[in-house]
Amino acid sequence: MKIDEKIVSYFESCDSPVDKEGYLYKKGEIKTSYQKRWCVLKGNLLFYKERPSDRDLIGVIVLEGCTVQLCESEEQFAFSLVWSDPGLRTYKFAAEDETSQESWIKALLSANHNYLALLVTDMENKYKGEIKTLCVFICVGEKEDALFWRAAVRYQGYFVYNTDTLVTFSGERSSTFYQSTQTSALHSYPALAVVTGTSMSSNPVLHAPAVSPKTAGIRSPKLRHKGNANVLPISAPALPVGERSGICLGKEEFSKLHEDFGKEVKELIAEWSKQRRGGAAAQEENLIDFG
Amino acid sequence: MRFNEKELVSLSRQPSEMAAEMGMRGPKKGDVLKKRLVKLVVNFLFYFRTDEEEPIGALLLEQCRVQKEDNQSFSIAYMDEAERKYLFECGSEEQCQKWIDSIVKASYEFMRKNLIYYRTEIHRLTGKDPLEQYGISEETRFQVTNGMQFMPRDTSSL
Repeated sequence: MKIDEKIVSYFESCDSPVDKEGYLYKKGEIKTSYQKRWCVLKGNLLFYKERPSDRDLIGVIVLEGCTVQLCESEEQFAFSLVWSDPGLRTYKFAAEDETSQESWIKALLSANHNYLALLVTDMENKYKGEIKTLCVFICVGEKEDALFWRAAVRYQGYFVYNTDTLVTFSGERSSTFYQSTQTSALHSYPALAVVTGTSMSSNPVLHAPAVSPKTAGIRSPKLRHKGNANVLPISAPALPVGERSGICLGKEEFSKLHEDFGKEVKELIAEWSKQRRGGAAAQEENLIDFG
Repeated sequence: MRFNEKELVSLSRQPSEMAAEMGMRGPKKGDVLKKRLVKLVVNFLFYFRTDEEEPIGALLLEQCRVQKEDNQSFSIAYMDEAERKYLFECGSEEQCQKWIDSIVKASYEFMRKNLIYYRTEIHRLTGKDPLEQYGISEETRFQVTNGMQFMPRDTSSL
């Protein structure tokens, strides 16, 4: 079977990320003595040549279907790449010291394609799970039994929302939010930090409050501001009814968001109100009119 | 250049969802279209003469550009060299697109980029590094290269 050598060579020499490189002693394929080789691991390919600066490769080992094992050897710090099917070979290596040996074994064990594929699938699923709770409503205050909500998005584990046309983020220890999920589970997350930025799409710089979150409920945390920051301390009176908030989401996006969350939020408000009044029938609250 | 041929041939025998007969033309001038059984296994494209057990050859699917050539054909090109452009003729446009997508996604480098993307995004949303639980967050091959900083978060209050 042929292999296009130029393609393989090019992959080794190009500037794609190197997973590990260094000198290893490799047991010869013709002569059985161990020879010092410069080895380069990229993905599931282990290249080897005499010196780092050499342009020509001596060879490449495709690391699929093999296991990495410690082995019995006259050489110290030895390990081998073993293909278990009959007729398939074993490559023997020796590292220069124990640290190198451990490090190479670890890298080679996880070099195969499948390992990375599984890891990516896992990350993809996690990501999909996280973006389900990307947008929520946070209750930011109440006045005369009317609850005030803000649409918020998650960032760095905090909840961020804007109270004017610039994006601002508020740290309130007891802001609770009602998370809309398919299972309608009720969760409570503290919003812990204040971030300033100018738009939701750029990545704002996160400044963690200097004050520990335990005391953040008493006064607003001292922060470094960039631009127009609006901090909402917990002890402030409820928002004046007249306040309008500019939402940085597009009008259509926000209406859809509002609609989607509306039903669940109404139920949750009712439940919350019921609990507060000790079981008295809750009135259905109107969702805040963002104007 | 030496390579572990037997082990690679063994790899080519692994079952694969993407295996089909199609027309294949080599990169060199004068190469003609031939019917081949083309099989995608991990980041290699193996090609066989129909009914033969051992592949004629293997193409490493890294640092290559896959593009649609016309309705039912796609090409794999390396190093922007005309002498390194392989052409494949599929049975249908649908099949052609499926192959293009599969080959792109099979590249180790593509998967690595995806991993870094998800890692960054999950961290952006949650403040936590999802690779920490696997104990591999320090590995060079998964490092975020776009300058985004992983800022430590004080979780002592949670």
